[in-house]
Amino acid sequence: MIEFLRLRGVCRDYNVGGVLSGNQTLQALRGIDLEIHKGETLGLVGESGSGKSTLAKIILGNEPPSAGQVLVGGAPLETRGRKERARLIQPVFQDPYSSLNPRMSISAIIAAPLEVQGYDTGKVRREKVREMAAMVGLPEHLLAAYPVQLSGGQRQRVAIARGLIVEPEMLICDEPTSALDASVQAQILNLLARLKSEMGLTMLLISHDLGVVRHLSDRVAVLYLGRIVEAGAAEQLLGSPRHPYTETLVGAALPARAGTKLPPPGPNAELPSPLAPPPGCAFHPRCSKADRTDCRERVPEPTVQDGNLVCCHHPNPSDLVARAVQPRTTFQFTEQ
Amino acid sequence: MTDETQLLRVEDLCVDLPTVSGLLSPVRSVSLSVARNETLAIVGESGSGKSLTATAILGLLPRSARVRSRAIELDGTDLTRLGARALRRLRGDRIAMIFQDPMTALDPCYRVGDQMVEILRQHRRISRKDAMERARGMLAQVGIPAPETRLRQFPHQLSGGLRQRVVIAMALLCEPDLIIADEPTTALDVTIQAQILSLLKSLQERTGFGLILITHDFGVVAGMADRIAVMYGGEVVETGPCDELLEAPLHPYTEGLLQALPSLRVGDGPLGLIPGVVPRQVGPRLACGFVDRCPYAETECSEHPVQMREQGFARATRCILPSDRPRDDRTVWHRQMGEDK
Repeated sequence: MIEFLRLRGVCRDYNVGGVLSGNQTLQALRGIDLEIHKGETLGLVGESGSGKSTLAKIILGNEPPSAGQVLVGGAPLETRGRKERARLIQPVFQDPYSSLNPRMSISAIIAAPLEVQGYDTGKVRREKVREMAAMVGLPEHLLAAYPVQLSGGQRQRVAIARGLIVEPEMLICDEPTSALDASVQAQILNLLARLKSEMGLTMLLISHDLGVVRHLSDRVAVLYLGRIVEAGAAEQLLGSPRHPYTETLVGAALPARAGTKLPPPGPNAELPSPLAPPPGCAFHPRCSKADRTDCRERVPEPTVQDGNLVCCHHPNPSDLVARAVQPRTTFQFTEQ
Repeated sequence: MTDETQLLRVEDLCVDLPTVSGLLSPVRSVSLSVARNETLAIVGESGSGKSLTATAILGLLPRSARVRSRAIELDGTDLTRLGARALRRLRGDRIAMIFQDPMTALDPCYRVGDQMVEILRQHRRISRKDAMERARGMLAQVGIPAPETRLRQFPHQLSGGLRQRVVIAMALLCEPDLIIADEPTTALDVTIQAQILSLLKSLQERTGFGLILITHDFGVVAGMADRIAVMYGGEVVETGPCDELLEAPLHPYTEGLLQALPSLRVGDGPLGLIPGVVPRQVGPRLACGFVDRCPYAETECSEHPVQMREQGFARATRCILPSDRPRDDRTVWHRQMGEDK
């Protein structure tokens, strides 16, 4: 396994508040350590406000981390120029209605990254655009069309084609299907799965839908108030979660099956304000296992077992059955 | 479906919308019924006509829309015969609505308490002070901590989950017989979604309102519904009790949709696909509405429109295929590998 991306203690603070509320610091990310290997898909889950999209922005280099380091292929991200970063990592955004310029034709949209890179002549570029369109299943007659003429699924194919045309090492998909209907979502998920296996694409998949994450990811990291609370092989993590927060998330996902019951209400379902996160373990006000001392006072240290990370004072025992099954990929976390 | 015990009975509801590009028929002959204490889920993808059906029942469509129906009856009252004023008195009183986005459902310029008092005073003869007290009690009932403080706050000061609770409290103020909830949890996180849904369910057990839940999420349906109506292309294509329908869908469209969902359980392998796209709803229907996308389609399917037909107890489907056709064969949904549209 070759490491492609490594985050070392990445933090990101925002100064918020105005004239009336005074200066406050929002710690969107707090000490993220993470590795993504070549050809691997990492699913990133967490509620809104947990820092998922901030992490994506930092990996894209659109925002610098406040502390810590992002290494791409062994070299710090900031030593690479904008164009070079764009050649390595490309995004696919959530809403294909606002991420495509309405005044550009589809072929111009798909070719834009090539143009920025200054690659090739117009003729070669057009050839590449056609190749790309075929690859993502976009009918050729649509290349001359404008975004307004396309359906949501077709638009997302355009966004994926644009992301892939410079043959990047990594694709960051931020909620790639949440704006789409179920039947169209299936098409896009199948497409991403095919591209992943055919091109050996490395992917960071951000989604709130655990079914989507389970379908595409090799590994999953769970983010809660700017910290990774659990990370591990997708099957194992979602099948037998060790952190109570992951357990809550998995329990709240309602399967479309006969006999589905709503989960019993937990102690407190609201995400605390990221401006004033609870002391100690940030999850303790919502946790059914929280004790009076440790959980309220000490931030739990991450522990790594069989390559799976969990950050909790009272984690669930790792499931023996799940452990007997070999994880699909092997990986390591940096010990702190 | 002419049961006298039904709370709401809708028969042959049609909506036509004149547009620049011709007459659209987004709702075609929809028949539904809901009993007290029952949750009916209307499921479908965007453009299936589910929200329009609800808006038409409430009489909230713009004047340009042409609404026809054989009956829309609430507890024996024919809503189609009522004038605009009588309908307005009914809405918010006996029928309440919960919308998807609580921020647009609440007025940003007024305090939560004032908005709630306004609803009560619109429909009941009640003093301002008593109304405020009722509003406080209702906020407490929907599980909002410190309701006195919340009454004095503006909507932007509340979190998404709290806002949706306020909207639910407002819907319940006049103890309605029927609540129509249009995607009530789509804007919320899964953990909050679970809470809001359990809240709706426990309130229903207590007060016995009928609930129409409009959603595209089969997971929400599975957790909430007593009965399901699946809509496609402006028609109800299948109805039945929740668990039976999910277990063994009769209509190919329902089957296809359920195949297309990624689940936490099933491992790898491509998802099932429904080939093609949702057609535009123009002109009269001359064949089965799903025939172009149906992997089971036969010649008869494109010869005439298909009527709803009863299949077994309490189930009906708009499909001519026998109910015992081979199923659970996912490969049929991979036939065209949808990749080229």
